[in-house]
Amino acid sequence: MNKNPIKLGKLVRRTIFYLFIVTLAVSIILPVFFLVSLSFLSTRESYSFPLPLLPSLKTEYSLTHSDRGYLLSVYDKFDKEYQTVLDTAELEKMSVYMKNQIGTPYSIPKIEERIAELENGGKDTIFFSVRKNLLLNYTTFFQITRDAVPALLRSLQIAGLTILISLSIGSMAGYAFARYVFAGRDVLKFSVLFVRMFPGVAIALHMAIILANMGFYDKPIGLALVYSVGSIALTVWITASVFMGIPESLEEAAQVFGATKWQTFLRVTFPLALPGLAAAAMYTFLGAWTETVSAILLTQFNPTFSVVVYQSLLGAVGNVNLTAAGGLVLAIPSLIFTFFIRKYIQQMWGGMTI
Amino acid sequence: MTASTPAKRFRDLGSKAVPYLLIAPVVIYYFFFWFRPVLVTLIKSFQTAAGAFTLQNYHMVLTDPDFLVALRNTAIIVLFSVTLEFLGALFLALLINRKFTGSTFFLFVAMIPMALPGVAVAAMWLTGLTAHGWINSLLYYLGILAEGAKIYWLAGSEWKLLGLIILIDAWQVIPSMMIILLAGLQNIPEETIEAGYVFGGNFITVLRKITMPLLGPTIQTAVILRLISAIQIWLIIVLLVGFSRMPVLVERIVYYYKEVPNLDISLQMASGYAIVVSFIVSMVALLYLKVSGAFGGKKEAAQ
Repeated sequence: MNKNPIKLGKLVRRTIFYLFIVTLAVSIILPVFFLVSLSFLSTRESYSFPLPLLPSLKTEYSLTHSDRGYLLSVYDKFDKEYQTVLDTAELEKMSVYMKNQIGTPYSIPKIEERIAELENGGKDTIFFSVRKNLLLNYTTFFQITRDAVPALLRSLQIAGLTILISLSIGSMAGYAFARYVFAGRDVLKFSVLFVRMFPGVAIALHMAIILANMGFYDKPIGLALVYSVGSIALTVWITASVFMGIPESLEEAAQVFGATKWQTFLRVTFPLALPGLAAAAMYTFLGAWTETVSAILLTQFNPTFSVVVYQSLLGAVGNVNLTAAGGLVLAIPSLIFTFFIRKYIQQMWGGMTI
Repeated sequence: MTASTPAKRFRDLGSKAVPYLLIAPVVIYYFFFWFRPVLVTLIKSFQTAAGAFTLQNYHMVLTDPDFLVALRNTAIIVLFSVTLEFLGALFLALLINRKFTGSTFFLFVAMIPMALPGVAVAAMWLTGLTAHGWINSLLYYLGILAEGAKIYWLAGSEWKLLGLIILIDAWQVIPSMMIILLAGLQNIPEETIEAGYVFGGNFITVLRKITMPLLGPTIQTAVILRLISAIQIWLIIVLLVGFSRMPVLVERIVYYYKEVPNLDISLQMASGYAIVVSFIVSMVALLYLKVSGAFGGKKEAAQ
């Protein structure tokens, strides 16, 4: 039938190749997908087994009379039937249950309306559906987790300070490594790399004493000073390669036209280096935002956001939906920044040279 | 251009002192916030509380019943996860090594696991591995688990847990290591590979004699940097099974410093473990600097 078997063979091979790529991408994404999905589940959903693959967007309720008051039932998509969840005459209890367990906030007056419908409509049972508040887990996480909001702000502050310290100190050295040949260049360059690879956890223990002496223990600036040790080294290497990518002839041309060295740097080199410097800053942000072990060792009453999520996971009994929401809030900035600097990360992972 | 242009003269004048002035802040910073804490930690590890010389601190750590277990667990994780990750990543990189529609998107997806904070990764697998978690749910939907059946992932022997930790680490690391190797592969000129085939080589010989040697520096960089982070794995273990159930070296530091901080020996134990970790990592880092050519070689590749 087929006139061109070579083409068919190519098509089959391409299809297999894409199937392989898709399988790979799915196995990478799958755990992330479930974390996202879990973070939108209601408490009731998160306690069911099997867990729903996708969060529901609304809930179907039925309301009927009982001896003690009213029977509230919820339609279960998996079992395909209404299941009684509450038997009470207290409307407030009903409202709280609908919000906390099912994730569908419903005010008492609205419940009263439904009850009036049941009493006056002459029906045995009435049915109604309520839209789910998908962000409820997120707001609840920040409400019930002590310190979550201040910790989030603190983490941002620490990341900002770390960027400030390491960019100002590191980019100068990066410029020197890129533009000058001098005695001891190699020793200095590789010492910086060695510091970068040295375990941060090892210096954290004594840093606690040093920071306490400086009055910085358990303060954002203290952690920023610790994080800067690693990120200065990273910034030196990144900025060195950024400045090396800017042709020296451009600087020389500017100086031939009468610009001073300082003007040349401000008007020519710096604007060209700006995207690379921004990448270094984002890389530093990622490091500071995700770091956990030094933050655990060096904070006491003022934890970072990653420590708050760590603590909520460490004692986690149930409430996986809240845990997932907290974990995702931590993950989102990382994902955004990674997306912005994906090209730089690829370059960096591919090996960089000074 | 001759040496008499103003630009050149300016450079000559400045080039003596300027680079040192530019680097001085880093050196000063590292003296105060890296060298000093490292040195003091090291000196204190040889001192009693009163300041006299002693080897007691090391004796205490080395005879800690958990020390050998922690060392063994760390060694197993490092050995198996790095091997598995390297072979898996190399296999995938060789299979994928071509430009294809959607490759940009695929590469970004492959970057995600490494970009996620450790705590978020732990949240992901903790919610998956509990008996009511998403892994069992998924297996149920796929028809692999019968109704009512559950797999208790986190129960059972420590070997099973070690296996799980290695697999989770592989999930996180293989995609990014694959990107590193892909970048390395794409730097090899196509003609070089083709020449190997023209001269009668098959896939295996070309891989062994051409691709792997050319990929060598990339592999060294990727594997050694990975070794350094694998030695320091602890967070995922603690968040999955808690402290002390499966001790590893860094977990012991956090345990003594933060979980039982009020014992007489807490600080010594934490410092002792910290020195052991630093020593091992430093050895690997020196190895890395050696293969990067820091001690007089030519190659200079680094993260």
